[in-house]
Amino acid sequence: MILEVRNLKKVYGDKTVVNIGHLEIAQGETIGLVGNNGAGKTTFFRMLLDLIRPSEGAVLSKGNDVKEGDGWKDYTASFLDEGFLIDYLTPEEYFTFIGSLQEMSVADVGSYLAQYTEFFNNEILNSGKYIRDFSKGNQNKVGIAAALMQKPEILILDEPFANLDPTTQIRLKKLLKEQVGMTTFISSHDLNHVTDVCNRIILVEKGQVIKDFKTDENTLQELESYFSA
Amino acid sequence: MLNTFLSHQWKAFWRSRNRGGSIAAQVVLGFFLLYFLAVAITIGFGMAFLLPEIFKGQDIVKSFNGIILYYFAFDLLMRIQLQELPTLSIIPYLHLKISKNKIISFLNVKALFSMFNIWPILLFLPFIFIKISVLFGAFATLMYIVSIFSITLLLNYLVLYIKRKSISNVWYTGVGLVIISVFAALEYYKIISIMSGSDYVFRTIALHPYLGLIFTALAWCVFKINSGFLRRNLYVEELSSKQEKKVSTDYAFLNRFGKVGELAALELKLILRHKRSRSAVIMGFFLLFYGFLFYNKQRIASDSFGQMMFAAIFMTGINIITYGQFMFAWQSAHFDGILSNKINIRDFIKAKFLLFTLASTLITILASLYGFLSPKLLLLHAAAYLYNIGFGTVIVLYLATFNYKRIDISKAASFNYQGMGATQWLLMFPYALTPILLYLPFGLLKMPYWGLFAVSIFGIIMLLMRGFWVSFIAKKFEKQRYKIAEGFRE
Repeated sequence: MILEVRNLKKVYGDKTVVNIGHLEIAQGETIGLVGNNGAGKTTFFRMLLDLIRPSEGAVLSKGNDVKEGDGWKDYTASFLDEGFLIDYLTPEEYFTFIGSLQEMSVADVGSYLAQYTEFFNNEILNSGKYIRDFSKGNQNKVGIAAALMQKPEILILDEPFANLDPTTQIRLKKLLKEQVGMTTFISSHDLNHVTDVCNRIILVEKGQVIKDFKTDENTLQELESYFSA
Repeated sequence: MLNTFLSHQWKAFWRSRNRGGSIAAQVVLGFFLLYFLAVAITIGFGMAFLLPEIFKGQDIVKSFNGIILYYFAFDLLMRIQLQELPTLSIIPYLHLKISKNKIISFLNVKALFSMFNIWPILLFLPFIFIKISVLFGAFATLMYIVSIFSITLLLNYLVLYIKRKSISNVWYTGVGLVIISVFAALEYYKIISIMSGSDYVFRTIALHPYLGLIFTALAWCVFKINSGFLRRNLYVEELSSKQEKKVSTDYAFLNRFGKVGELAALELKLILRHKRSRSAVIMGFFLLFYGFLFYNKQRIASDSFGQMMFAAIFMTGINIITYGQFMFAWQSAHFDGILSNKINIRDFIKAKFLLFTLASTLITILASLYGFLSPKLLLLHAAAYLYNIGFGTVIVLYLATFNYKRIDISKAASFNYQGMGATQWLLMFPYALTPILLYLPFGLLKMPYWGLFAVSIFGIIMLLMRGFWVSFIAKKFEKQRYKIAEGFRE
């Protein structure tokens, strides 16, 4: 068990946005978080990353409360939205900076990025632009690549497929499936993709876990019928 | 149609989501705006008394004529840095059934709404009515006014044209400032006199008033060139300042500070690559002239450092104040990224101390030019410098932990009140009062140098305690970070 959520609650005014009683995540699981807008997915992710103070409860990463220390940052990488990008840097500068936080040299970063030429489709590196000048899709790619670069044990991505072109969506799925032993947490509105990539689906509504199950051949149908109801 | 455009702009201004928040903040801002206008008007009306004071024994009309071109030279430099291109506002109209000419005239009219176009009128018109009309008659007065208006418009559209062509650059401003200073120095040592030149130009207008129309003609030409350029290039992509190829940079001199240096380099890039932070820094260089207002012969001769302390603190610490007042909010766009990455909070705080220290050192070195007025001022500056880097930085960073207002740093700084809150106004009190209170007892006891010594020692002690302050602020930051992050997300 690498992640544990205990009685996690976030209340804004009289509205409970997240209310998760107990959740255990084992090492190597790939979990898809699905739910309509306002289900509390992003708020939940932010609490996993200690960006929002929970009203109650705790998130334990390898047994330690994420609120209490920074240790979890050594093995956790994430990309939720553009707020994670330092958008006035060139992509190269950004990768170098993120790499340096994980003690990677400029050469390490360079060789790591070399394997991403296909994923980047020649639009990211040496483009002569700052990150803020990129399209949303390309900003997404930078964020995802930077997160993967840290070779994390836990990876958290919020709607990674949004804004990506079809080719890149397929490449991203391949990338995610290739990662062995990494615990991945992604949210998505694309039911096809999550069922394809993930081996466990957690369905949330109004901040609560409605369903939590392993994926099999019927999962997609099951989800579709749930959301069309 | 023009009225519709303008009413949209008016609404855009008042309904802007980022507009300075609370009513109290807006009242204070309104007050400050009025204050600046009042100052300009007072100087305008007071010119008849001020000019003989400043230029003793010189014909008053000559003094007046003499400063006009100086003012406009300075005005030009300020405009190049600070005046904004009214371009983005036309995007929603370009695809509609509106003729290009209408859109262009809207852009031209909108460009007139700038403080730079009000100042010369407030400054020069009163004197023209008070003195010039009496001495030279109605026609000359009229043409004086026409000339002032024309030069204002000339510069207004010239700067827009320059900016659209993207031939402006921070370094040009620096060079321009140096050139003006050189001319001022030549003037002082009576080698070449721009004043006489300026006087010659306007005296000619007084004698042959119709010649003032030359300025009008020039202004009209520039206006036409500008409109023509707009007509040929009415694409938003091409109108906003041109994109140059961006390159990755590395600040080698910061590498020796390790992780801290890396964070400082990151922030230095932030400062240099955004309009708002860049103009905040550039304003600091313009404010180096502030000393000329406060340092005069009597004060220097009588060692009245108390009265000059504020100016010294302000000049040597200007970057700490203007940049520090919005601290952490500069990074509001990627604050979540900073929190979720493996960044040590102590390093994060230390990087800010490092940047402040470097900036303050640089500007103090530049301010040393005042040493030519009197070497005593160097002592004053040294005390102010030590205070700024020792304690000013601490005040700014401590108060920063109470600042939850997001700012969008890609917007320009002048008259941008986004992110203003009580913190910004409160900042100045402890910042400016502490050193003055430290100095005061010594000043009253007529021991001015001991007063400077006390301020310096205070600064040095605080500097030695920096490790403690870093931990202190880091602790506070840890406590406040959720609140700050939440505020920055809005």
